[in-house]
Amino acid sequence: MELPVLNEKPKGGCSASSCGSSDDQLNHLSDEIRAKVQNHPCYSEDAHHYFARMHVAVAPACNIQCHYCNRKYDCANESRPGVVSELLTPNQAVKKTMAVAANIPQMTVLGIAGPGDPLANPERTFETFRRLSEEAPDIKLCVSTNGLALPDAVEELSKHNIDHVTITINCVDPKVGAKIYPWIFWKNKRIKGEKAAKILIEQQQKGLEMLVAKGILVKVNSVMIPGINDKHLAEVSKIVKAKGAFLHNVMPLIAEAEHGTFYGVMGQRGPDASELQALQDECSGDMNMMRHCRQCRADAVGMLGEDRGDEFTLDKIEDMEIDYQAAMEKRKVIHQAIEAEMNSKRAAKIEVKAEKLGTCPALMAVATSGQGVINVHFGHAKEFLIYEASPEGVRFISHRKVDQYCEGDTSCGDGESVLQRTIRTLEGCEAVLCSKIGYEPWEMLENAGITPNGEHAMEEIEAAVMLVYNEMAKSGKLDEVKQRATA
Amino acid sequence: MSLKIIESCVNCFACEPVCPSKAIYEATPHFLIDPKKCTECVGDFDVPQCASICPIEGAILDALNVPINPPGSLTGIPPEKMAEAMAELQAH
Repeated sequence: MELPVLNEKPKGGCSASSCGSSDDQLNHLSDEIRAKVQNHPCYSEDAHHYFARMHVAVAPACNIQCHYCNRKYDCANESRPGVVSELLTPNQAVKKTMAVAANIPQMTVLGIAGPGDPLANPERTFETFRRLSEEAPDIKLCVSTNGLALPDAVEELSKHNIDHVTITINCVDPKVGAKIYPWIFWKNKRIKGEKAAKILIEQQQKGLEMLVAKGILVKVNSVMIPGINDKHLAEVSKIVKAKGAFLHNVMPLIAEAEHGTFYGVMGQRGPDASELQALQDECSGDMNMMRHCRQCRADAVGMLGEDRGDEFTLDKIEDMEIDYQAAMEKRKVIHQAIEAEMNSKRAAKIEVKAEKLGTCPALMAVATSGQGVINVHFGHAKEFLIYEASPEGVRFISHRKVDQYCEGDTSCGDGESVLQRTIRTLEGCEAVLCSKIGYEPWEMLENAGITPNGEHAMEEIEAAVMLVYNEMAKSGKLDEVKQRATA
Repeated sequence: MSLKIIESCVNCFACEPVCPSKAIYEATPHFLIDPKKCTECVGDFDVPQCASICPIEGAILDALNVPINPPGSLTGIPPEKMAEAMAELQAH
């Protein structure tokens, strides 16, 4: 199977930035790949409003150490990769997956992501995949790995219902790698330094090539670590795409001292929103398929950005009687209805024409809980989707969480108010669109130089963002952006 | 002659499959090494396998009760830096 190189301009059709619509982000893909990803919540910005995913934590062991991970950590307030509350046996994982699939029919994707490395736990991981391929064939299977054991696992992976593999590749240079990976366990020894990084890099690249040769879709994740690999990731991007990765997802480093990770304790900072966006733009070319990535926990359940894991704990699923044949029938009907809704939404999309205004691009924040419309009250928003509007059109940039990580009892509740923190989350945005907004936050937003807008409740996001941008441009508000930017 | 797993073990399973003597078993509250079976990998490998894959500093002791992976040896975090960060967090 031939996989396209990402930065090549699509032949015919249009690219996302020239059309100004994020639906077009899939246009450059071959029909075969598009069919695979268009209902996948992690790959399609559109689909993530409708379909849900889950991870099962069956893989506790790891064969490497990363400086952004602490193997001791398990906190229910955390939402980040590598963290879980409850380790499952393959049997429990199968039961949980089927219970979730029956109760949340929008769940289409099951991933194994850890909390260690799935391929360092081959028996547990493959037993789960083998049984799910047989017992729940309507669920897509995904796996993510650090790549060290990947070449040995490709043959087995190709036997199951797996069409997506994610490899975390943070570098292609052992000198950079030695600053990210303190050790690997390889051929019965713990190996450190550049020698370890070199082996890991070789295994990752070999695994990538082998998967592509087998026709298995490969996504590459990279963690952006300022001062360590930020300047290096554009090269990583070029190499992995040339080898056939269909997508490169750059994620920000999460590092806090209380996580007890090397980077957290040593004071390594993560990138700010503008640094991340600049690198994502550089690496993704015309594509922005992963901008909605929420860096889920290794046991997340539900729509992206939500976690319904509490409804499916071991003791709760124990009591659930699941008739999967009946559930599959029901799921099929619901999936068809969702697809019909997505198609009709796509067809009925209100095209708001970008106008030639000569103004700078501006970031706009949107409060939404999905379905592609503005439907969340400002004060209830747990996260904002960030869109960039310009005379060229509208494109989805990222999401920003409010109250991103629990900072422990001592820092919760005092100091900065939730409202102040929410407004700080919106730094760099010119406007915020929500379904409704109270008087107090309205005033505070205006004081912060952000235009509040509650006039487009239940309207389609991109059309509303374009309208607000055009209004602001015409009323002269955006000229200020230009002056500020050049000042 | 036997190694020992102590309470800082996080039950990650990594050591269990790499033990050539099948001396490691799942137990509550953490994995344990059967001292009758453990050979410290002598004759099989140059280095004890469990201690070479264990990610937790201090979790595995040698026959003299000395941690095989002392603080800072795996994470690269200097112990004094870790103590400083923890004191800082407690103070808040």
